[in-house]
Order: sequence, then C-alpha cells, then structure tokens
Amino acid sequence: MSNPLLAFLVDLLRRDEERRPHRATVRVAAASAARASASIFLVLRRMRAPLIVLIVIFAVSVLGLTLIPGEDAQGRPWRMGFFDAFYVMSYTASTIGFGEIPYPFTYNQRMWVTISIYLTVIGWAYAIGSLLALLQDRAFRQALALQHFTRKVARLGGPFVLIAGYGRTGELLGHSLDRLGRRFVVLDDSAERIDGLELDSYFADVPGLAADVRDPGTLAVAGLDHPSCEAVVALTDDEEANLAVVMAAALLRPDVPVVARVTSRSLAQRMQEFGNPSLVNPFDRFGDHLRLALKAPASYQLLTWLESGPGEPLPPRGDPPRSGRWVVCGYGRLGQELTADLRAEGLEVTVIDPDPDDPDDEGLLVGDGSDPWVMAQADLDRAVGFVAGTDNDTTNLSLVAAARRANPRLFLGARQNRAASAPLFAAMDLDALLVPSEVIAHEIYAQLSTPLLWRFLREMPERGDAWAQELIDRLGGLCGEKLQSLWKVRLTRDEAPALVSCLGEGRVRIGDLLRNPENRDEPLHAVVLLVLRGSDTTLAPDDDFELAAGDELLIAGWPAARRALGTILFVDAVREYVTSGRRTPSSWIWRKLTPDRPAAAVDGAGRR
Amino acid sequence: MNLEKVVFGFFVVLAATLNFGFFIGDISDPELHNPYELFAAVVVNLIATVLKFGDRTQIGAVHLATSLVADLQLIGAALLFGYATYVSTAGMTASWTASVVSLSGGALLANIISVVLLVVETVSFHRG
Repeated sequence: MSNPLLAFLVDLLRRDEERRPHRATVRVAAASAARASASIFLVLRRMRAPLIVLIVIFAVSVLGLTLIPGEDAQGRPWRMGFFDAFYVMSYTASTIGFGEIPYPFTYNQRMWVTISIYLTVIGWAYAIGSLLALLQDRAFRQALALQHFTRKVARLGGPFVLIAGYGRTGELLGHSLDRLGRRFVVLDDSAERIDGLELDSYFADVPGLAADVRDPGTLAVAGLDHPSCEAVVALTDDEEANLAVVMAAALLRPDVPVVARVTSRSLAQRMQEFGNPSLVNPFDRFGDHLRLALKAPASYQLLTWLESGPGEPLPPRGDPPRSGRWVVCGYGRLGQELTADLRAEGLEVTVIDPDPDDPDDEGLLVGDGSDPWVMAQADLDRAVGFVAGTDNDTTNLSLVAAARRANPRLFLGARQNRAASAPLFAAMDLDALLVPSEVIAHEIYAQLSTPLLWRFLREMPERGDAWAQELIDRLGGLCGEKLQSLWKVRLTRDEAPALVSCLGEGRVRIGDLLRNPENRDEPLHAVVLLVLRGSDTTLAPDDDFELAAGDELLIAGWPAARRALGTILFVDAVREYVTSGRRTPSSWIWRKLTPDRPAAAVDGAGRR
Repeated sequence: MNLEKVVFGFFVVLAATLNFGFFIGDISDPELHNPYELFAAVVVNLIATVLKFGDRTQIGAVHLATSLVADLQLIGAALLFGYATYVSTAGMTASWTASVVSLSGGALLANIISVVLLVVETVSFHRG
C-alpha cells in the first residue's frame, strides 16, 4: 500500500467525522425528498394493471384482424396488414369510427371487430377510470401537495422564518412579518388552517403544508435544513409538539435560533435543555407587563406600541391603581402568575377560584365567581382592581359586568381566550385586556423583527417612566401617532459608504445626519431608538451623540425618511450637504473642474 | 416463490427471445424475418416496460431505461416496416429489410442488458 493512498483514506475518515452533525440533517431531508417524489411512482405503480390490460386487448384485436381473411374491392381474397389493422383498431377503440377501411369488411371480419369494440372500450374505460380515481385519491393528493411544498421551499432565495403551528398567534405573527417584507413557511396539523392560508391577503407567497409538526422529516421539508432558514417558531396549542419542534431544531440545526410558546414550567425546563431556545409564556408576560404598567405607565405604553408592529396607532395609556387591594378571579396559570406579580409589587390580592390547587393560600376565597354571595365576600367596594382570568370568555365577561356594577371605579382587566369574542370585550371598554395569542405574537415579532428592537425593549424599562414619556413625545412629534416603519442601519463600508469615509476624518453627530436632503433645516421624520457599538448599547441617543464606524442603529420613522437616509448614506454629495450644508458637485467632471472645494469641505468638517 | 417475480421474469425473457427470433437470419432477406414476430416483440416489450413502472430502486431505474430503449428501437423498426410495405413503391427491398432488422438488433442489445440485470438481481438476492 502506498503512503498517499493511506493518507487519502485517513483524510477521508477524518472529514467524515467533522461532517457528522450535517449528515443527520442531510439524511432527514433526503428521506423526505424521496417521500415527495413518491407520488410519481405511486401513479406508475397503480397504472400497471390498466396499461397492461390495454396493451393486451389492443394486441389481440390487431392480431385477429391481420389473421382473418378478407376481400378487396374486386372480391379477391386479401389479408389486412399490420398497419391497416392498427389504424382500424385505433379509431374504433377510441370510438371515433371512420368505417371499414380500406375495403368493406367480410362478415368474418365484422364479427371480430364487434368483439374488439367491446373489449377495447372496456380497456379504455378501465385505464381512464383508474387514472381519475388515482387523481382523486387522498394519499396521492397529499403526496402532490408535499411535492409542491417542497419545491416552493427549496426555491425560497432569501432568509425565511419557519412557523410551526398556524393558529391565531401564527396568523398575527405572519401578518406582522409580511408587513416587514419577511418571508415565512407555515406548518400546521390542520388542513383547514393551511387552506385558509391561501385566503389570507399576504404580499408574499407563503408555502404551507398540513402535516404533523412533531415529525422531523416534515420540519426538514419545511426548510429546517435550508441554508436560508433564519429562525424556527413553535406556536402549536400542544406543548409536547412545541417541545418536539424545539428538540428537532436544536439537534438538526443548532445554529438557528428557536422561539417557542410554552405555558407550563416543567415543559419550559425540558425545552431549556435543548440549546438555548427563547421561550414565551403569555401569562408570565402579562404579569410582567402589568407590573411594568403599575410602575411605569409610559414605559409600558412605549413597549406595547413598539411591539405591536408597523402601522399601529399609539395605544392609550392605562393608569392602574398602585395601592389598594386587587381581586383576581380564576387561579389557574394566569391567576397564579398575576397574583405572584401583584404581591411582589406589595399589593394585597384576593383570589376567587371554585377549585384551587392549593386551598391553604392566604387571601384565597373558594367559590364560584359568578355566585353573588361569593362576590359580596370579595368586598369589591373596597377593592381597587379586578381581573377576570378564567379560561372561559362568557364567564370572564359576566364577571367583569358584575364587578363593574358592584364598584364602577374599579380598574378592570380580563382575559380573552377566543378571537371571536374580541368585539364583546372591546364593547366592555376594559382597562386592561389579555389576549394570550396577541401577547405571544407581539413578543415573538419583537424578537424576530430585528435583534436590536428586542434589545431595546429589554433595556428600556430600566430607564424609568419620565424617559419613556420623553421618547414617546419625540416619536409622536416627528413621526405622528402611528408607528410607521422600523429599520436597522449598519455603518459599514457596504451599507453606508458615504458616511464611513468621513467618519474617520470628522465627527458626525446624529442631529447632523438626520436631516432632509432637500433642505437641511428640516429634520428627517425619524428617531434613532438605539445605537449598538460593540456590545454597548445607547438607548434613544440625543442629537449630540457622535457616530463611529461599525455602529448599528435602530431607527423608527417614515418610510420616506428611510429612503432619504439611504441616499445620505450612499451618495457623498448628499451626505456632505446634510452634515455641513455645503453643496458639492457629485459628478466626476464637475469635481475636476472645481478642484478646491471638496478638499476645503473636508478640512472644514475636520476642524469643526 | 413470488408470482410477481415469475411474471416479471417471464416477460423480460420473452421480450428478449422474441426479439432474438426476429433478428436472427440473413439481414437483407425479407423471407427470414416474420412481421408477426416483430409485432409480438413490440407487444411483449411494451408489457415488460409497464411491468417495470414504479420501481424506486437504482436497478429498477436501469431496468426501465433499457426497456424504453428497446421499445424505441422496436417501434422504429415497425414504422420502417410499415413505410416499406405501404408507402414505398419498391416494397420490402434488401436495404429496407436490413434497416428494420438492424434496428431490432439494437433493441436486442438493450433486451440482453435487461436480462443480465435480471440475472444480477437474482444472484445478489440469493447472496444477501
């Protein structure tokens, strides 16, 4: 054995070792691709018998015609050739019937043709019937849908999000992502929801497949192994299924971030064991939001505004009572989180539940909330807040109505479980409304839209209420009452060539940059929410903040401002005018003709 | 014994033998090449092709490919035969006959590959 061959073998083996994590994904994908192409094989396999029957019938009929003696026009004996026989059988079998060609048949021939007509018609009917039955077949249609879906996903060029579970939450998240111009792929167990996908008005084409999300093969087909898959979101009602998605994503694509909906703590812990998925618990988040609303109403207002996505108006500011006693109806997952959060804020809480898990809890009132006697026990007259948090919308509505009648000054909160009940809850005019599906959708939108927004939202509450109030005023003053557009700008040589070239020479302040390229006295309708430099963040920097190369900016503002800023960052002359007020020629010839002015402008910028 | 395998083997071998029967003999002598044999070869080849539909293995794919080649050649031979008998004024001359038979010879090669595949498949099955 020569040494080079040995070296090659060793190299091959070692490369195999390195490739192992990838291989698992490739294998899963190959299995699913094979399943997708199975539909063609299914057709071929099922058509075997009808086709063979057809061929045999044709062959027997043609052979018979060539063997049976006939007569030509003059009455001389004549035998039909193969071509004539095939021609006659072809138009006879397909019921076209041109007649007796080339000479009138003898009785002997006619008897044979009569038999052949019945045989061939049966053969055709059998073949066509089998084909139509196959097209109607459920398994075949599913195979076709799978193949169609696989092709669509494989053709996705840009980055996309894989959403497993397309209920109310998935729909909300899908619309938010679509408004941002992001692509996504949908998986759901229910075929109805996937059919509904086609009726939804999305800008982009959304591939959807009705299949079991717990199957890693399905996830692979939906793009888990696609290089452009940028995130996986598990949003099904079934927490076990979400866990399965988290597991599959963590094992097959450890580099892709995973977001999962979870409400039980034990399952949350099991998910945490796989990679580092981002978990969203709607009840926990509602409790956190309520605490934030209690401590800092303006911060909470800003948070909900930015989370709700582009095009949404500024939500009204709630003013929950900060002292006094709260009454919480329903001590399930929401009730427990909420009670803990309220107590942590130093508030007194009375809980009403007909069948609590731990009846020893102090302040717990065992009984049905809709019972007037129980409500009287809760002493609503001296309470300040009331939350109806059961998992039944009718109960929640009647509880809120009863509480309002008992004490009209109460701060009222309720949980809305079904999307269909939304108009009723809206008519109730509540102070706080928890819609679990919306909470999850907003939260995941904030995480997926840009990592900078997520970072901003997490760090923003620490800045206090007055700071948030000031930022809301700035946003409202510059961009109006509706959140227009949120985008990210990276000050690199690729994304901001005009600015980066002058960042090295002079100082550029945010206030100088965000100006109208037509008239620099007018500000751009945009506000910088966050500047990320290395790992340091600066929230809502003021106009004097100095930019440096490599900074990442999160900006909220008008779409027009986004386009204008793009021009400023790319065109040197526009950037020069906006930052210094000097009009410099942008064409090469003109710059050569006036050689002194650009140099002077740079000097001026440097001296300032 | 698997009846499906018997039928499959029967048609594959029959396609090759019929083809061989038509092919053998002086290439330019129409008397030695019976049109009925060509017809039977075309029909049996078509049936063998359909029997090979829907097999997802690699060897199944090659099987199907060889059968399609044989079909193409035999149907080409049949068309030439028909043209010579019905359209051409000269009828089945030596050159026409040679063309038809040489086309069927090509089909025979494909059919032989098919039979070899069948044998290989069988042998490897017994070994495994």
